[in-house]
Amino acid sequence: MKGTYLGEFEEVVLLAVAILAGDAYGASITSEIEQQMGRSVNLGAVHAALHRLEEKGLLSSRLGGATAERGGRSKRFFTVTMAGTKALDNIREIRNRMWNAIPKPA
Amino acid sequence: MNAPIQPPQWATRLLRTFCASQLVDDLEGDLLELFAQRVRSLGPREARRRYVRDVFSLIRPFAMKEKPEKYPQPAFIQPAMIRNYFKIAFRNLAKHKMFSFINIMGLSAGITACFLIALYVHFELSYDAFNKKADRIYRLSSDINSSAGTLHYSISSWPLGPNLQTDFPEIEAFTRVSKEKYLFRKGDLKFNEEQTVLADSTLFRVFDLELLHGNPATALTAPFSVVLTERSARKYFGNANPIGQTLLVGDNGDAAQVTGIMKDPPVNSQLTGDIFISMTTHTRHYNKAVNEEWGNFGTTTYLLLKPGANANALSRKFPAFLQRHMGRLLQAEKISLTLVLEPLPEIYLHSKYEAEQSGSMANIYTFTVIAAFILVIACINFVNLTTARSLERAREVGVRKAVGAGRWLLARQFIAESVLMSFLSFIFSLILSAALIPLFNELSGKTISRGIEYELPFVGALFAGSMLIGLVSGIYPAVVLSSLEPVKVLKGKFAMTGHGTLLRKGLVTVQFAISIALIIGTMIVYTQLNFLRSHDLGFAKDRMVVIPSASGPERNALKAALQNLNGVQSAALSASVPGGPNSQAHSRIENSEGEMQVATIDMYQVDFDFIPQYGLKVVAGRSFSKDFATDSTKALVINEAMAKLLGYRSPEEAVNKKFSQWERQGTIIGVVKDFNFKSLREQVKPLTFRLADRWNGDLLSVKLAGNDVRNTLSAIEQQWKTHYPDRPFSYYFLDEFYDRQYRADVRFQRLFTNFAVLAIVISCLGLLGLASYSTIQRTKEIGVRKVMGASAASIVGLLSKDFLKLVGLAFVVAAPLAWIGMSRWLEGFAYKTDIGLWIFVAAALLSAMVAFATISFQSIRAALMNPVKSLRNE
Repeated sequence: MKGTYLGEFEEVVLLAVAILAGDAYGASITSEIEQQMGRSVNLGAVHAALHRLEEKGLLSSRLGGATAERGGRSKRFFTVTMAGTKALDNIREIRNRMWNAIPKPA
Repeated sequence: MNAPIQPPQWATRLLRTFCASQLVDDLEGDLLELFAQRVRSLGPREARRRYVRDVFSLIRPFAMKEKPEKYPQPAFIQPAMIRNYFKIAFRNLAKHKMFSFINIMGLSAGITACFLIALYVHFELSYDAFNKKADRIYRLSSDINSSAGTLHYSISSWPLGPNLQTDFPEIEAFTRVSKEKYLFRKGDLKFNEEQTVLADSTLFRVFDLELLHGNPATALTAPFSVVLTERSARKYFGNANPIGQTLLVGDNGDAAQVTGIMKDPPVNSQLTGDIFISMTTHTRHYNKAVNEEWGNFGTTTYLLLKPGANANALSRKFPAFLQRHMGRLLQAEKISLTLVLEPLPEIYLHSKYEAEQSGSMANIYTFTVIAAFILVIACINFVNLTTARSLERAREVGVRKAVGAGRWLLARQFIAESVLMSFLSFIFSLILSAALIPLFNELSGKTISRGIEYELPFVGALFAGSMLIGLVSGIYPAVVLSSLEPVKVLKGKFAMTGHGTLLRKGLVTVQFAISIALIIGTMIVYTQLNFLRSHDLGFAKDRMVVIPSASGPERNALKAALQNLNGVQSAALSASVPGGPNSQAHSRIENSEGEMQVATIDMYQVDFDFIPQYGLKVVAGRSFSKDFATDSTKALVINEAMAKLLGYRSPEEAVNKKFSQWERQGTIIGVVKDFNFKSLREQVKPLTFRLADRWNGDLLSVKLAGNDVRNTLSAIEQQWKTHYPDRPFSYYFLDEFYDRQYRADVRFQRLFTNFAVLAIVISCLGLLGLASYSTIQRTKEIGVRKVMGASAASIVGLLSKDFLKLVGLAFVVAAPLAWIGMSRWLEGFAYKTDIGLWIFVAAALLSAMVAFATISFQSIRAALMNPVKSLRNE
């Protein structure tokens, strides 16, 4: 499955975009991850991951609305593509298979 | 009161500088949104901290300004674009032919002058440098001290070399060379070779002279061995192999064998010669005793010291050596001798000892400074002219900027134009240099370069240099023009502020000051040379032909035959003629206090006819006369300067006083009026005349009478052939021969003239640049004045006035400097012209005229321009 390999942080970002379903942009993704994981996250790291994921074709983006909080600056909304959904499914399946393979203590 | 909490602005600015423009917006939005959230949840301090941290975390490749913009700017180093720059540059040059021509020529002149001077300086500095052992070679020079002062001789006596080597082990080798005039014959070919060098067999051990054929160790060992240069080998033997062939030497026709062929020695060497003949020829055949003649100073001795030997330590041992070998001789002659070791590489430029070749460090400095000056001024002109010219292109700049050309894009265009111009200048100066090298060789009297194809390293440097000039000179106009604001330019409201005007004016003043100084210098050199040529020398030099090398007993018969020729007034034999070298003799003459005064005095050996033929005036006593049998052994004639030296108040007092000189003793029989037997650089020195013995006096001076010079000369040649069938006939005119002493001054004059013209041309270019610059600035003013009814002439006057002021200022600076410099030059002459006021007036008028002509070029055009054109934009 070369080419769709996902790093741990990329997976988290991709999941966050999926969770935010339609309202995913830099700031919202960052806060979502911070809440979910309970740790502070670099905006740069998030954007770098978003950029890579988009290059890999797992995310797509479009420029959208602005809010007063942002000083009127537009947001770039991210959505998970088909390939992205597939990649997430894939990972989940592998994880599940591996979890199932752990021998149960008798 | 409740002002919104702001994130750190510097961080935002930082983000904007590094971040790609299309990302800035949403990244900043994210940052601000997170900041606002964090202010609420974490407090302002932590929010700010995180804000900064996030900005830094965004310094990542994806966010950097690497993405192409919507309308990408091409990189400078892009072949297509560069081709385009040069294409446009070339079109611009072609469009303004006059301007381009002037600009390119100005720079070419500067580069060419620099190139030629660089060749000259390199040539002068590399004298004798071809010798690998040059640092160990020393010339043995002699200071001869007597009561009359010290004589500096670059020569030494024959026995010194061999005896020094025997006594001092630190001397690896010595070689003696003596330049002579020898007659050589081979079949019908006969030449008086003036560049014949007698040389010890060790010549090739000391100097790096390359033998093409023959063994350097033995080539000059046996008597009558001859080594020819390639040049002389061709002369006598054509393409045949000369090794082992014979040449006949001297009047007796002794057979000499060719033992070697030498590569023509480098021109910039102390040791020049066409034919080298073994020293043993002289020491074992012609003058067997010469190696014992300690007092015979007739050869140049070079010593090769062993590696590590100390020349100073060696020269400290010389006084004891001289005492050992020459003590008695020196004592008897009442003189002392100091031997001086001169390092070979320093001889040419630094030696105070007279030599046939000597250079001048002052000249090298002068030329280097002039070259640097010319180049710098040419570059400044280049910049000024380019800037002035391109101001006319301000509108083009405005349009291009409005259409979207960036500042650097425009700057590149101007730099490309300037580089193209300097490249064309380079090509021109290459052609110019190639054409001028022969002229320059002639001007300097030396083969400084055999042609441009031999100077590739210099050409490379020239190319690199001119490219650099183009690049650097392109920067200023590029910066000025690319800074113009399109809105103003297109509105027609732009006015160049006067920045840099003072500097430009200053430079033009300096240029003109130097030009005027050079003009004054040229005029003074010219008047001085004229003065020298027309000065009364005290002897008759017109219509006098000198036939050299009339030696042997035939000369008297020849002289008698010539005196009978139609068209010959008289003939006289002597050992020296004015303007040429003469012997000096150690003399003792009774002075006014009755003592025998000892001095080394110039000496002319003459025959009975010499004094009357040369028109020398006897002011006391009498001249030599055949009526007195004792005259040939006991008589001396002196000049007035000699009488003065001896302390006599009048010439009459000197007559009948005793003398002793060169084995002759007797009385002074007469005193002649002083005449300039040396150049007019010197005061007339004390001189003695004596009748020549049968060995001396082979110069035959013939005074022509009629107008038919050509026929008389051919009749003389006929006579020569009957008396000397084996010798080539040659002659020279005395006036030309005498004037040869001023050859260096004539060269100086020519160089001065050339540099003056060049400086004037370059200065005018500078003035042209400045004039057109300011004319453009005042276009509108001129238009208004014309509309108000000003005449074209008044406008030309208005525009010229300012510049003529600069020229006036330049004159005020230049005149005293030129006066000081030229007075110093004139001090080198004992007889000199006065620096006339007219020279300064003429120089001022000339420079003002040239300057005015230059300015009119621009100002007349401006004055005649239709004011409608210049005022239309208002």
